[in-house]
Amino acid sequence: MAIGVISAKELHARINSGAEVFILDVRNPEDFNDWKIEGKNLKSVNIPYFDFLEEDDSVYQNLPKNTEIIVVCAKGGSAQMVAEMLDERGYHVSYLGEGMKEWSRFYHPVTILTDQELQLIQVNRLAKGCLSYLVMSNGEALVVDPGRHVEEYLELAKREKVQIKHILDTHLHADHISGGHELATKTGATYYISSSEMQDADTPFEPLEKHPNIQFGSVNAKIMAVPTPGHTPGSVSVLVNDKFFLSGDTIFVGGLGRPDLGGKAREWAQSLYDTVFKTIAGLSDDVLVLPTHFADISEINANGYVGATLGKIRQSNEIMRTSNREKFTEKVTGAAGATPPNYEEIVNINRGIVEVDVEKATELEIGPNRCAVHHT
Amino acid sequence: MNADITVDAKGLSCPMPIVKAKKAMDSLKSGQVMEVETTDKGSVNDFQGWVKQTNNEMLKMEEENGVYRFYVKKS
Repeated sequence: MAIGVISAKELHARINSGAEVFILDVRNPEDFNDWKIEGKNLKSVNIPYFDFLEEDDSVYQNLPKNTEIIVVCAKGGSAQMVAEMLDERGYHVSYLGEGMKEWSRFYHPVTILTDQELQLIQVNRLAKGCLSYLVMSNGEALVVDPGRHVEEYLELAKREKVQIKHILDTHLHADHISGGHELATKTGATYYISSSEMQDADTPFEPLEKHPNIQFGSVNAKIMAVPTPGHTPGSVSVLVNDKFFLSGDTIFVGGLGRPDLGGKAREWAQSLYDTVFKTIAGLSDDVLVLPTHFADISEINANGYVGATLGKIRQSNEIMRTSNREKFTEKVTGAAGATPPNYEEIVNINRGIVEVDVEKATELEIGPNRCAVHHT
Repeated sequence: MNADITVDAKGLSCPMPIVKAKKAMDSLKSGQVMEVETTDKGSVNDFQGWVKQTNNEMLKMEEENGVYRFYVKKS
């Protein structure tokens, strides 16, 4: 039988359709346990490719004969080898063309809102748990927190027939490389980020603190930057038309941002407290929170995007109701866990201090998202 | 460190470094040592996993100017 090569997009479409998917991940157990493809109705088994080199048939015993097996590795080479071995033994098999490398650069756009005045698309980079946004009105667009594969946004803008006019990073990202500056260069749009995030930076930017409102389109699509420090000192959130709260790394569907990536966890936890119990306290329960990250695919709602009303987040996250300042601080500083890999280097790239090629960028971004604090 | 066999897997990408190393290993007797050189960063975790899985012994690992060197003793 012929061995199929499946793309990340095809694999995602299959997972998303709710069909049963069987993945044989042939990376070493350490890499598999750290980061893998997840989904509803998805079963994955980890058998490192080198186990298939031994002449030992027991390695095949847990593999189904009647289901298609999709083999996945880091870059595609080992998966192809194992797929060929399985094919020779009569298994129905295909492999993910460029492995986790390809999965990592797969972006999935989901439309959240389409009305006459405002259209909103969430772009989900599933492998990294990174979310970015296109806010569109009257042929113009604002892009929030774009990832480094800027062609995704250029294509979306073309599809939606809008011109990207404004690009904004809610904060200096520590877990992935921002596409903000590059996208601005390619579109002529303005790139905004808070000055306090960009100390010693070489990347040109428009200081966000000078723009409490970003207006665009002939319709009144009101966009307001709401300072929400805590995750990093210059973090902002964006409130679109008083209804959509693009919360950056401050509030997630499943919790709050981690305040420990600057070596001042307790101090930043105080800002996070003030954000929750002062800045955001005034927002109504029906405001839709749209974060920059998610930690688990269960955060993807029935409509296919990651987001929840503020009311629901307040209800389901105890930390949002922990109004005792001392207890709050203890909780958010105590639960952070592993830091995002390579975050110091990534921060320097996002400041424009360090430049890397595509291969190095891919390598630095290996692994899942670790920005959300799990302590619900 | 003296090796009984040296495998040059520089410039090769996964899975070739381990495929070549496995062939070389099969030609060794118990107690003999194989030296492997790779340039693929992914091979660092893979070699450790493979050596453990096959019950051989990783004597030494080193990195020099982007070249990873592994010394594996056959059990």
